[in-house]
Amino acid sequence: MKEIITKIGDHFIHIICDSNKLAEMFNVNFLTINNYNLKFDLSITIKEGYGVPFLDYKVDITKNNDQIVFRRADYLIEVDCEYKVATILVNNGLALKHALMNIYSSFIVYRNWGLLIHSSSAMEKDNVHVFAGQSGAGKSTVAKLSYPRVLLSDEATLVKISPNNVTVFNSPFRSEIEADKLEREITLDSLNLLYQSHLNKRNSLTKSEAILRLMNKVFAWQHSQEETKNIMKLLTNLVNMVPVYELHFQKNNTFWELIS
Amino acid sequence: MIKQYIHKGNYDATELDGEWIILNTDDYTVTKINEVGGVCWSLLNESQTADTLTQSLMDMYEIGENEEQVKKDVEEFLHNLVECGLIQNVNR
Repeated sequence: MKEIITKIGDHFIHIICDSNKLAEMFNVNFLTINNYNLKFDLSITIKEGYGVPFLDYKVDITKNNDQIVFRRADYLIEVDCEYKVATILVNNGLALKHALMNIYSSFIVYRNWGLLIHSSSAMEKDNVHVFAGQSGAGKSTVAKLSYPRVLLSDEATLVKISPNNVTVFNSPFRSEIEADKLEREITLDSLNLLYQSHLNKRNSLTKSEAILRLMNKVFAWQHSQEETKNIMKLLTNLVNMVPVYELHFQKNNTFWELIS
Repeated sequence: MIKQYIHKGNYDATELDGEWIILNTDDYTVTKINEVGGVCWSLLNESQTADTLTQSLMDMYEIGENEEQVKKDVEEFLHNLVECGLIQNVNR
């Protein structure tokens, strides 16, 4: 049994894990804090021994009066309707990472805080640029090609959308590239939708087109009317404050000439 | 009977630089329409026919001719909105 306090975005999360092996995941990319007097935004109990290894991304979501249940072949999440206390049952470490992304994504939408977006992101001077796309679009490739810039994410970007500004936090949800220690939030300068190409080209998108293209880049949320409206509201605020582009890029670092 | 149309349910419509995004939370669909479509969409809060919409557009945009073409476009637009499940024929 291990107790961990971590910070994701600007949320303090309390974790109790019955498996030391699974708890080790939090040593790699997650910020751990030794202060048990904090007020936690979310408390999660993690248990091992559920289901089968990864089959597919299909998540069944059910909701009753006081609980939401997310069920995938390799994980099960039970959380109260206000996203304060959750239990996560998992098959292995990959299932735990995906379950945490699922619950955190729903949690920040519920709070109207922001969005978890399928994307990588890199810092250039004092700003950050996000590179979004579905699996295979080139998020990790772009992340690797952005070296030596500081990477804030290589798979899932934490975007905080406030009324007057949009910022990005260092993401603990990593695929290949380990997180640097970086605790402050950085202003988001541009959002780029990725397309691999023989030529580098960057086209500006209208705000409405940007919303349509970004909708399926947001991590899974429960398909309730309320949450879908929240996502639309957050996306509207996002495209009103940050320019969105279609970025056709060659597989080398020259695409950065179009950005910085 | 002249067909009358009206919004089918409650939708969230957002205007962004003259274009409109309509979110249908019953079917989880989004529809993008242009500025003139947005004007028609707003008028469809109350029941409208192709003729009343055509007249409103001709007045609003001070169009003095080609009424037949405007009406044809309005009819096609109404047909598309019905297909998208956003408006319904109230005569039914």
